Amino acid sequence: MNDNALVLKGIRKAFAGHVAVKDFSLEVPRHSVFGLLGPNGAGKTTTLRMVMDILGPDAGTIEILGQPADHAARDRIGYMPEERGLYPRMVLEEQLVFMAAIKGVPEKEALKRLGPWLERLSLADWRKRKTNELSKGMQQKAQFIATVLHQPEVLIVDEPMSGLDPVGMDVMREAMLDLRRAGTTIVLSSHQMDTVERLCDRVVLINRGEKILDGAVSEVKARYGKNTVALAFEGDGSFIESLPGVAKVTDFGQYLEVRLHDGQDAQPLLREAAARLRLRRFEIVEPSLHDIFVETVTSHGEEAA
Amino acid sequence: MSAKLWAIVKREYIERVRTKAFVIGTILGPLMMAAMMIVPALAARSKSKPLRVAVVDATGELREAVETALREARVDGRARFDVQPGGAIAPETAEVQLKQAVLQKNIDGYLALPADAVATASASYFGRNVTNRIDLRTMERTVSAVLVSRRLASAGLDPTKVKDMTRELDMKTIRLSEQGEREDQGAATILALILLMILYASILIWGQAVLTSVIEEKTSRVVEVMAAGVPSTTLLLGKMLGVGSAGLTQFLAWALSLLGVSLAAAGGIGSFSMPEITPLMLVSFVLFFLLGFLFYAALYAAVGASVNTVQEAQGLAFPIMLPIILAMVSFPAVLEAPEGPLAVTVSMIPGMSPLIMFLRIVVLTPPLWQIALSIALLVLGILAVVWIAARVYRVGILMYGKRPTFPEIVRWVRHG
Repeated sequence: MNDNALVLKGIRKAFAGHVAVKDFSLEVPRHSVFGLLGPNGAGKTTTLRMVMDILGPDAGTIEILGQPADHAARDRIGYMPEERGLYPRMVLEEQLVFMAAIKGVPEKEALKRLGPWLERLSLADWRKRKTNELSKGMQQKAQFIATVLHQPEVLIVDEPMSGLDPVGMDVMREAMLDLRRAGTTIVLSSHQMDTVERLCDRVVLINRGEKILDGAVSEVKARYGKNTVALAFEGDGSFIESLPGVAKVTDFGQYLEVRLHDGQDAQPLLREAAARLRLRRFEIVEPSLHDIFVETVTSHGEEAA
Repeated sequence: MSAKLWAIVKREYIERVRTKAFVIGTILGPLMMAAMMIVPALAARSKSKPLRVAVVDATGELREAVETALREARVDGRARFDVQPGGAIAPETAEVQLKQAVLQKNIDGYLALPADAVATASASYFGRNVTNRIDLRTMERTVSAVLVSRRLASAGLDPTKVKDMTRELDMKTIRLSEQGEREDQGAATILALILLMILYASILIWGQAVLTSVIEEKTSRVVEVMAAGVPSTTLLLGKMLGVGSAGLTQFLAWALSLLGVSLAAAGGIGSFSMPEITPLMLVSFVLFFLLGFLFYAALYAAVGASVNTVQEAQGLAFPIMLPIILAMVSFPAVLEAPEGPLAVTVSMIPGMSPLIMFLRIVVLTPPLWQIALSIALLVLGILAVVWIAARVYRVGILMYGKRPTFPEIVRWVRHG
């Protein structure tokens, strides 16, 4: 039995004038939480649309849960597009039952499954209300229910956290983790690096329609080595940027992340900083996905240009 | 029908049927149709008072004959003229008095016969209202008959005998069809036109409902969720069938209430004859509505998928309405010669045939092979249009922003 939830081989899609996705291959293992990362216009949404047959690829093949992608296979996927969409004048309950019906769930069954989800995402009081009376955050949660009501084996979510307040984000994250524990494979496309970093065990980074990074999160981080230093201090730290051996400084306001050149020892930086600042923290850390993302995309951009 | 298609048809149907426009249209439709049929009948029957008229006669010898003739003149079996005295005095003074009387509304008008009325066949009518054409025509014919018999008499002929011998032809028109014979008083034409108008309006109105529905799905962005769940052809088909069923529901409601109205009216208005609506007419009305609707709904869906707003759709919608508009414009020619080459040709062209073949069926039953061919061609046309629309739809529903040009849309169809 094939252990991949999704397999994309040599996918290519061109629109008038430009190539959106070129020779893109991808394997999403079953039961993983998979992060699909990339800057705006990298081809993430186009790729997901091809998986869902909203767009037809110019070349390449797609396999879903070990089968060639067809409509029956796609019914086992739940897809929440970045552009949320609900019928504005439909009553929430009817809307969700309808969304389940087009994925092949009978009405009675959908109604049965609906209750617990509405409770969990605090929408129970809104069950009989029209969708356009719901707030943006509530619509987002309703959309999520619409995506999972047919109990998909693969859940594809595009920017699941956007538009949610911190409480909503926590609820959503827990809901996704529960699904994962129940065996659902989750593909997450996002710009929010902290979300991806906390949730995903594998990531792939796309830029300009090409895959530029692929692997387990821990592996990707290890590849970048332990040459990042987190610094918190009092005083003026602007000199750090011009110190020898420093590749890049990212200012987070409360603290700095300093990236050193490969093989550079952190000790000279510690001595220099201790001499000139009141240090509160000096720690050698793994690079954040954020840094890896920015660095990889920037250097890829330069290569391509 | 697959469960998905059924779910889409059901959703679309319920959403349409719940709108205010649907409820209002369903209630107002029969009221307006009933008004269209009953009001003229009532108006024709209304007992408007006979005209109070006086006669001024400068010849000195015609007044009595004219007055008698006017009193005896009948329209629909009722006297139309209430002849007033007052023309006995000298014509000049009488005219002054009568003008006053007309202005004071004591009488409605008066007829002045000049001294040479018999020879020149001339007369004048003075009245406040001179647009009551039927009454004035009656007066004209009545007075003319008096003058003619005077001339005949002075030529030594017997007026009654001449009248008898020159009696005008009274030609009835009887519509002969397989269903039997039936005297027709123009009602068949009027019925055909009313049904044609309803068919035309319905195809366009329900076609536009599909357009609006597609645009709404684009605006609310729900279309991507839908496209991820079902193939775009299923989505398009479900939408068309759902909206079409809503249209049929409205017709059913109309038909039932019209039936009620005409049953109730049958007692009230008495002899008012409703032209016969044959089962063939009803079946072909529903059939050609459905086929015409599917044809135009698919085109409208393609337009809706290509644009962002209803306003933007206007420019693209006109060309697709062109065939049905042309069909509508050609109906007088078709009525004139329902078996002529123009009528036969136009009733075969998909997009025009829903109106014209229906019209031909209503006015005279065309050969069965023509009906069959027309329907077959129309079904082929629908398949072609749905195929094109599905391709435009699939690409277009995900396009936002700039409206595509026509060549771009053609490219979508070719590469789909």
